[in-house]
Amino acid sequence: MSRKRSLVSLLTAFSFLVLSVTGVLAFVRPFSIQIVGLHALIGFVFIGLIVLHVVNNNGHLGRYLKRGPVRMSLGAVVVLAGLFFWQPSPIKSVLGLSKNIGPSLDAYEIDELGMSYRYAPDPGYQMALTVRSGSGFDTEAPPHFAIWLENASHYHIKTLHTPPGEEGRTALPYWDFKLRGWEKAKREAEKSGTALADEAGIDAISGPTQNSSFDPGDYILPGNAEESLPYRLLLEINQPGDEQASLVYAVEIDNIDPRTFQLLDLVGYPKREEDDDDGKEVWSLYYIDESFGSALDLIDSALLTIERGE
Amino acid sequence: MKPPKPDTNRRDFLQKSVFGTAAAGLTIASTSHASAQAPAEALEPEVTNDVDVLVVGGGTAGHVAAIQAARAGAKTLLVERGAQLGGTTTTGGVAFPGLFDAWGKQVIAGIGWEIVKESVEMDGGTIPDFSKVPQRHWHNQVFTNQFLYALLAEEKCTEAGVEIAYYEFPEKVTESDTGWTVDCIGFGTRRRVTCKQIIDCTGGAEVVGMLGFPRLREEERQPGSYLFMMGEEHEPGRNQIHRLYVHGADSTNSRTVTVANMTGRKSILEKVRKEGKRLMHLQPETGFRESYRIEGETMVTVNDYRTGRVFDDAISYAFYPVDLHTKTGVKPKPLDPGTVPTIPLSALIPKGSKNIIVAGRCISSDRLANSGLRVQAPCMGMGQAAGVAATLAAKAGTTPLDVSLKEIHALLKEHGQIVPDIATA
Repeated sequence: MSRKRSLVSLLTAFSFLVLSVTGVLAFVRPFSIQIVGLHALIGFVFIGLIVLHVVNNNGHLGRYLKRGPVRMSLGAVVVLAGLFFWQPSPIKSVLGLSKNIGPSLDAYEIDELGMSYRYAPDPGYQMALTVRSGSGFDTEAPPHFAIWLENASHYHIKTLHTPPGEEGRTALPYWDFKLRGWEKAKREAEKSGTALADEAGIDAISGPTQNSSFDPGDYILPGNAEESLPYRLLLEINQPGDEQASLVYAVEIDNIDPRTFQLLDLVGYPKREEDDDDGKEVWSLYYIDESFGSALDLIDSALLTIERGE
Repeated sequence: MKPPKPDTNRRDFLQKSVFGTAAAGLTIASTSHASAQAPAEALEPEVTNDVDVLVVGGGTAGHVAAIQAARAGAKTLLVERGAQLGGTTTTGGVAFPGLFDAWGKQVIAGIGWEIVKESVEMDGGTIPDFSKVPQRHWHNQVFTNQFLYALLAEEKCTEAGVEIAYYEFPEKVTESDTGWTVDCIGFGTRRRVTCKQIIDCTGGAEVVGMLGFPRLREEERQPGSYLFMMGEEHEPGRNQIHRLYVHGADSTNSRTVTVANMTGRKSILEKVRKEGKRLMHLQPETGFRESYRIEGETMVTVNDYRTGRVFDDAISYAFYPVDLHTKTGVKPKPLDPGTVPTIPLSALIPKGSKNIIVAGRCISSDRLANSGLRVQAPCMGMGQAAGVAATLAAKAGTTPLDVSLKEIHALLKEHGQIVPDIATA
């Protein structure tokens, strides 16, 4: 009996070691069927061994359940499981570090080559934005970036990358203005129970054009591709200390006419207008003028790649 | 109708083509041979004009063409079937012409812009800031007071020396040794015009059709729009106006226009009854988007348009998304950043013709290119270029296509128009 218990315990310990090593490798390395396969199969063996281990030690386990800190243990596991399942921002950040799990979420990286951003909300939709740095790109103090999506009426529908801190928001006023407008409309819509499209005051001038959805899913993963709505991906960039306004680049994405590769075009620079009649702050984009110098060399190119599944 | 053979004798051709057109149901007179049996033809005209340039149609392109021709020294007559000038901008009520700018710069100016700007300034309105990136393509359309626009267009015609003949339309066009003899008819008026050059600005190239030159037309046209204002005050030059689609709207002839107008008005009346709101404004006519286009010496394709091809004989710019309206609405396809299409002179010349030029939405183009070319600012630009080409041709005793492009560009620039820089293209 004692020999059998020892065998089960040792098998459990060794298989746990394999499970741990393959788990870490699966996290830090790109996807590998050998690693993930080994991890999964040894996991099944481990489950069987655990069952035997519980059978061998049911007396001890029974005493733990009667006298041990059961509630605290159960609570801790439930909290961790909940966090890992819902994945709030800090958890997402940790998962984003993974070379394997990260691509299924979003990942932002900046280095001497420029900036790369990946967003893959679904296996059938994998977006990558690759910004190649230009001569004006300072790798020591890299520029602030914001990336977001807008619908055909130029209303913000989803921010993909937020610049860190208040400094980032100030440096990228156009994105900030769009985001604040969306947040305000969303708050008011929630309060009044109306549709966000009504709250945002979608104009009806171009009536026949569909432009009212605020659900990113309607654009990124439409139920019916034939009825999908075009949308835009925008990038705002600002190099700290260059004393020039931020620049906004954009590209239109149309799932009816899907393109894997698209280059972003420079649209303009933001300028604050006079507040509107309701005292609301208004920012508009203006065409680039002769006041811009090095800012125009921040980006050599900005390439959007979208891999769509079948 | 068969297109004329290039080597066909012009008089023979005209005779055949006029019969053909009549058979197609257009409102034109018979030939000189047939006229002996037609009492109406036997009547002598009450009015005669001998001019250098006859402009037919005083709409978006026509009044600009006439003003330009007269300002350049041509004796000019403008024949308009309606009661005022301006066409789509005034009678159609689409009083927000566009687009005069592209990518932060003005690309269309000249006489059309002069009238638009003056009417906005006189009305205390606002000219869009062209340095600002428009969120939607129509944001830089210029809100214009349609009533002022019509008055100013008429005043500028008069000041330039254009003779205006309202309520008239050509019923017969005959080639002569010096150009054309055109018989026009209005209520209680028969007018005979001899002219060196004709500028056809009828929208659907009606004169070109009378002459039997080939024209293109789609099986199904884009819907027209009937403009009105219901339940709120109409402030001319300040706001957009309500509109509804008139499906099947066709400006081919008086009968199809009648049908379109009655259909539009009936729908508006139903809407008024249903919603119980006050009808505050109603335009007299449907705004038509599409009918005939000419088959010109050059055809502008959607590829030319979307790539911003600079034609060797470019005379003006155009700018608008590809904007094809259908039964289910419209999904404009914007041009790529930096793209500004151009308009070639040869796309305004009916293939194989002499001494006639068109301007406006009937430009030789495929349907998708036309959906962007048809809007007002490019049509105004075409009108001015046609006015210049016809005037120079009349003075030199040649045909518009043979006029030196350099001279056309120089005169256009002298009259405030922006012309494509072909040398650097």
